[in-house]
Amino acid sequence: MNRVLVVDDEPAILRLLGAVLARGGYEAAGAATASAALATLRGGGLSAAILDLGLPDRDGLELIPLLRAAHVPVIVLSAREDVGEKVAALDLGASDYITKPFDGEELLARLRVALRQSGHPSGATQEVLAYGPLRIDTARHEASIEGRALTLPPKEFALLQALVEAGGRILTHAALLEKVWGRAHVGDVEYLRVAIRALRLKVEEDPAHPRLIRNEPGIGYRLMEA
Amino acid sequence: MWRVLTSYAVPLLGVALVTWITSTMLAQWGLASAALLFLLPVLLGAARGGLGPGLVAALAGAGAYNFFLLPPYFSFRVHGPENAVSVLVLVLVAFVTSRLATRLRAREEEANARAAISEELAQISRLLAKGAPVEALERARSYVAGIYGPVRIDGAQDGFSSLDQAAAAWAMHNGDATGHGTGVMAAAEWTFLPLSPKGRGAHALMALARPADGHTRPMVQIEHMQQVALLLGQGCDRIALEEERRARETLAESDRLRRTFLASLAHDFRTPLTVITGQLEALATRSPEAGEALNAARRLERTMSDLIAAARIEEGSLRPQAESLDLIDAADAAFGAVAVPAGLSLGHAIPADLPFVQADAVLLHHVLINLIDNALGHAASRVMLGAALSDGQVALWVEDDGPGVPLDQRARIFERFARIEGGDRAQGSGLGLAIVRGFAEAMGMQVSIEGSPLGGARFILRMAA
Repeated sequence: MNRVLVVDDEPAILRLLGAVLARGGYEAAGAATASAALATLRGGGLSAAILDLGLPDRDGLELIPLLRAAHVPVIVLSAREDVGEKVAALDLGASDYITKPFDGEELLARLRVALRQSGHPSGATQEVLAYGPLRIDTARHEASIEGRALTLPPKEFALLQALVEAGGRILTHAALLEKVWGRAHVGDVEYLRVAIRALRLKVEEDPAHPRLIRNEPGIGYRLMEA
Repeated sequence: MWRVLTSYAVPLLGVALVTWITSTMLAQWGLASAALLFLLPVLLGAARGGLGPGLVAALAGAGAYNFFLLPPYFSFRVHGPENAVSVLVLVLVAFVTSRLATRLRAREEEANARAAISEELAQISRLLAKGAPVEALERARSYVAGIYGPVRIDGAQDGFSSLDQAAAAWAMHNGDATGHGTGVMAAAEWTFLPLSPKGRGAHALMALARPADGHTRPMVQIEHMQQVALLLGQGCDRIALEEERRARETLAESDRLRRTFLASLAHDFRTPLTVITGQLEALATRSPEAGEALNAARRLERTMSDLIAAARIEEGSLRPQAESLDLIDAADAAFGAVAVPAGLSLGHAIPADLPFVQADAVLLHHVLINLIDNALGHAASRVMLGAALSDGQVALWVEDDGPGVPLDQRARIFERFARIEGGDRAQGSGLGLAIVRGFAEAMGMQVSIEGSPLGGARFILRMAA
């Protein structure tokens, strides 16, 4: 059974998350503080973590790199409206975020994506990547959708590759810009908009109603399983 | 009086003394040395008392020399030119010495006066540095009044003639000393000295009255006063800046506190609501009553979010960050965040080649959710989004096929707690459209309402492409 670390300073939320996780077939290991969370992490055997950023003893953001270093995917749970904080959490390596009040089923769905993603080794070592109807052969620089070959300029190919590698995980605007255009262009969101629009013309059935490439306002893009 | 008396008496006594000494020693010293000795009382008189005592000593010395030392003795008669020469020399020495001494004394007095002014300026500076501008102004006023007569720094215009007022305006405008004693409007009764140099927007003046004796005030005094005035001006400017900075800090601090308060308020109500909705969700699969409670809790969450959004608009803590946005993305994300009631449809006809817009992604997301929620609350069967480019601006609209908003109520539809009279299916907080307007305006967009070709209302956002 997958054991999921749940970090939140509210006992009622810990109980609620325990019930939701039990419903999804997971075992919850609760921690009310960052130090308790680190103790549980050292104990090992964790498959994922659900982390509230507002903790009494430490900024929850600080835990993300530590959990990532232990190959534990992190879903950030936040009541805060602050988009900047979500972006910071994602850029630090969080797999996803969910905002309070959350929907139990949605949380379980995000958790499944995060677990599946961490189950695969990093995309860099794989030559052929697939997500939903999309397939990418990085060595031969080929992409296809439902078996139909796509003709993509280098930037669009790199963008699609980054999204497929993330496998349904959300990538921040800055992360995508850095991966595809380089560090100097992390602020040029317009580049990304143009490339996404061009990519949608090729991969979406109806580019005005995208089903595959989904935007999270102010945060980034992720692939949906159509 | 006593000083004048002694300034004459001492050199005269000196003459008497020299006469006595030289008359007794004449045989040993000779006439030339004796004549030289008479220079001493002349120098003394001229140096101490100026020209008058010097001249008196010179004439007395010449007389005594003639009377006692030159033969024939005890007579003013002379046989040669010696006496004329000695009188001339003594008088010349008296002239030159007294001139030199007077000049020296004037220099010394001026230096003393300068030192006194420096000391006074230092005192005023100290008061200004201590942040006591009122005391500094008062001290400067009484100091200047003490040496130069009536002075005013209060900025009031009463008691000034129209010429004085014109001079004051000139001084204020040009940052120059103006009025009596200066080159500009010298006929004025007062001299006006700006507290700030030219180009710094003089905002205060020091006014100095014409001297009581009717003389023209010397330029040197006006220059001194200008120094005092500028010092006062600088000090007051510094204090004003410091006060402004402190006020800004206080404002920023209270702004930060308010934002923290709103953030913690959001956190404080969302945590229990998360527990309530979360637990009800599990129960709702088995019990319809729990389902109703769940819907109520979700409505409560929306209302609380609206209240906090309205508070953020009210206190001006919105900090929109414009970025390039694709309206297709914006519509897509908003569709993902609203619940479409059974029997209604939601769609959009935004052209895929529309230019990107500049907007804050999160605020626009809220605006669209609120507009769509509002439209879903009134629609008969469908809600549509559309967009078009016109005159370099992008218009984005949300429309429905409901009853629409009567013309006479359109103007107040964006006010808080505004409801259309009759048949309102929406269960919102009454803040939704007020938030739309608040967020839209914070992003520099215009929001308006008109009739929709679908039959209901069309809400339009106009934004920069």
